[in-house]
Amino acid sequence: MASYEPVLTKGIGEADLTDIGVYRSRGGYEQLRRAVREMEPDAIVGMVMKSNLRGRGGAGFPTGRKWSFLPKDGRPRYLVCNCDEAEPGTFKDRMLLEQTPHQIIEGIMISAYAIKAARAFIYIRGEMRQGYEIFMRALEQARAANLVGEKICGSDWSCELVAHRGAGAYICGEETGLLNSLEGKRGEPRLKPPFPANSGLYNMPTVVNNVETLVCVVHIMQRGEEWFASIGPVKSPGPKIVSISGHVRKPGNYEVPLGTPIRELVYELAGGLFEGRTFKALQPGGGSSACLFEEHLDLPYDFDSIAAAGSMLGSGAMVVMDDTTDMLDAAWVLQRFYAHESCGQCTPCREGTHWSEAMLERLLHGHGREVDVSLLGTVGDKIAGHSLCALGDASVPFLQSVVKRFPEEFLRGAERVAAIQV
Amino acid sequence: MTSSDFETLKTELEPQIDAILAQYPQERSALLPLVHLFQERLGFVTPEAVEYISEVCDVTRAQCQSTISFYTLFYRRPIGKYNLQVCRNLSCSLRGARQIMERFRERLGIDHLETTADGLFTYEEVECLAACDRAPCMQVNLNFVYDMTPEMVDEILDSIIAGTYPVAPLAQSEQPERKVRGPEWSRASRKSAGAVGVPNANNGGGIDQTGRTIAERFRKFGIMPISSPGRMADPELVEGMVPAPHDDTVMEHNY
Repeated sequence: MASYEPVLTKGIGEADLTDIGVYRSRGGYEQLRRAVREMEPDAIVGMVMKSNLRGRGGAGFPTGRKWSFLPKDGRPRYLVCNCDEAEPGTFKDRMLLEQTPHQIIEGIMISAYAIKAARAFIYIRGEMRQGYEIFMRALEQARAANLVGEKICGSDWSCELVAHRGAGAYICGEETGLLNSLEGKRGEPRLKPPFPANSGLYNMPTVVNNVETLVCVVHIMQRGEEWFASIGPVKSPGPKIVSISGHVRKPGNYEVPLGTPIRELVYELAGGLFEGRTFKALQPGGGSSACLFEEHLDLPYDFDSIAAAGSMLGSGAMVVMDDTTDMLDAAWVLQRFYAHESCGQCTPCREGTHWSEAMLERLLHGHGREVDVSLLGTVGDKIAGHSLCALGDASVPFLQSVVKRFPEEFLRGAERVAAIQV
Repeated sequence: MTSSDFETLKTELEPQIDAILAQYPQERSALLPLVHLFQERLGFVTPEAVEYISEVCDVTRAQCQSTISFYTLFYRRPIGKYNLQVCRNLSCSLRGARQIMERFRERLGIDHLETTADGLFTYEEVECLAACDRAPCMQVNLNFVYDMTPEMVDEILDSIIAGTYPVAPLAQSEQPERKVRGPEWSRASRKSAGAVGVPNANNGGGIDQTGRTIAERFRKFGIMPISSPGRMADPELVEGMVPAPHDDTVMEHNY
C-alpha cells in the first residue's frame, strides 16, 4: 500500500491541470498523439481487453468486451462518456472533471479512436455547472491545439467531442436513460436488448463509458496493459478512486489499488472514526449497495470479494456510519431518494419505492405497525428484478441488509401502535 | 416579457442556437441545451420558449413540455433570484444537513420548493450533489458551498440580502408567485411519479414531503394515520383531528 503511487489523481492539488500547457508539460496528450499516429484502433481495443479493465461506473462490466460487441456493419458509431455522477456518496467523477478535464478529453479521444467513433459525447450532470464550465474551457484549448476536431494531431482521423449538460435526473446515469436524454427525450431507460452496442444513440452502435474508466484507458496506453493487469486482483485489476464519506475524520477521494483491505481504507486513509465512536456499518459502493458490517472490514476492496459478501463495489463510494447512526432514518433518507428519482415507467419501481418510503416515514415518526417491517422486505422482493433498469433493484439491497441486521431499530417505530392495539 | 421582447432575445441568441444545433446529428438532441439557454436568460422556461424550442427541435409542444417536466433543474414557473439547494442525502445527513435545512426554513419562513414573497429566494432540498467529502453541502444558483454550518446559513442569507454575495442572481423575467408549489390538496395526495413527472419547483404534484411529518399531514386533513377498525390509533392524534384552517396566507417571509 505504501508503495502505491497514484496515477489517475496524480498532480491534483499540486498543479493547475485544467491548463493545457501544464497538462502537456507532464506528458499529457502524448498517448493520444501516439494512438492516432502510430497505432491501429484494434490494437488499442486489444490492449484494453488484455488489461482486464472493468467499468468504474457501477456495473463493473469489462470495458474491452463492451467495445468488442460493436457490430462491424459500417453504421456510424458513437462514444458517450457518462459524467452524470449522482450515486449517493460518489464524488470521484466531479473531482476528475473539475481538476483534470484534459485527462478526460484524452481518454475520450483515445477511446473514440479505438472504437472508430464518428462523434464523441460527454454527458455532464446538470448540477455540475462549475465543472461544465471548466470542461468547456479545456475543450476549447484542446480544439485549438488540434487534439479534438479535424485531422487530429496531423493524422487522417477526425472526431468532434460534444459536451452535453443534463438537467437534474439520477436516472440519466443509467446508460439508456442517458441516451434518451441525449436525444432530447425524457430520461427513461429503454428495454434491453437491443443493447446500446447494437442500437444506442440514434439507434446506432454506441459505447457508454464512465469518466474514470476512460481515464484509466490513458494510463493503460502509457504504462501498458501488463502494468494495469498486475495491480490488485487478477479478475478486477487496476487503480480505483474510492470516495469515502460519512462518519470519518478525513472524508475524500483516495486512489488505491483494487484489493486494498477495507479496514485500511477506513482507518488509515480516511483517518478512522471520530473520538469515542464505534463502527456500525458501511456501504461499499454507493447508495445502491447493501451494507457491510464489522465482520467484513478485512475483506479486500475489489469487485469479486465485495460481491461474494453480498454487496457490490458499484461506483466505489464508501459511506461509513458509526454507532450514532439511526438506521431507520438512514434507510428513509435513501428510500426517499429512490422514490424521488424513479422515472415512473415501471410499476414495481414507481410504486414500490414510494410505498417503502411511506412505510419508513411512518415508522420513523412512531406510527408504524409491526407488519411494516416485514412488509418492507416483501415489497423489496417484488421490486428487484421486475423493472426495466437497475434503479428498482438498487433501491432494495441497503434497506434489506439493515432491516435484517438491525430489526429492533425498525420495530421501535411500531412500538406505539403495538401498545394501543393490545 | 412581451412577444416582441422574446423576438429580440431570439435574434440575439441566434448564433448560439445555430452552434448548438450544429453539434448534433438530430435536431431533437438540442432540446436540453436550448432549454438551458433560454432558462438562463428568462429565469424559467416561458411558454414562448417552449413553442420556439419545439419548432426548432421538430417536436410537438406536448413532447417538449413532457421532456422539460422530467428534469428537476428546469422551471416552468418563475422562481427566486437565488435558488438555494441543500443536499438532503445520506452523507450530508450523517454530518448535520438537518440543522442546515432547519435553519433555512426558520430564516426564510418557507418550506421545500417554495419561494419567498419578495421573489428573492427559492428553497429546495435536493439529492446527492457529489460533494460528500465536504458535507454538508449546498448550491447557490448551482455554485457549491461546502462544509456548511448553521451560522453559514445566516451569513449567506445576510450577504445575499445586502447584495454582497459573490454569486450573481438568476434572471427573473417575471415575478414569481409567493408559493410555487401546487395547491394544498395536491400535496396531500400521493401521486405516482409516472403520472405527474418528477416533483420539482414547478410541479405541484408528486410526493415530496420533506419537513412535513406524516402525523402533521394527517392532522391537517383529519385522517387517521393507520386504519385500525373501530379504534382511535393514537390519543395524541385525536386531539389534532380538527381539520386545520387553510393556511395559504401565512407564508409571509420573515428573514
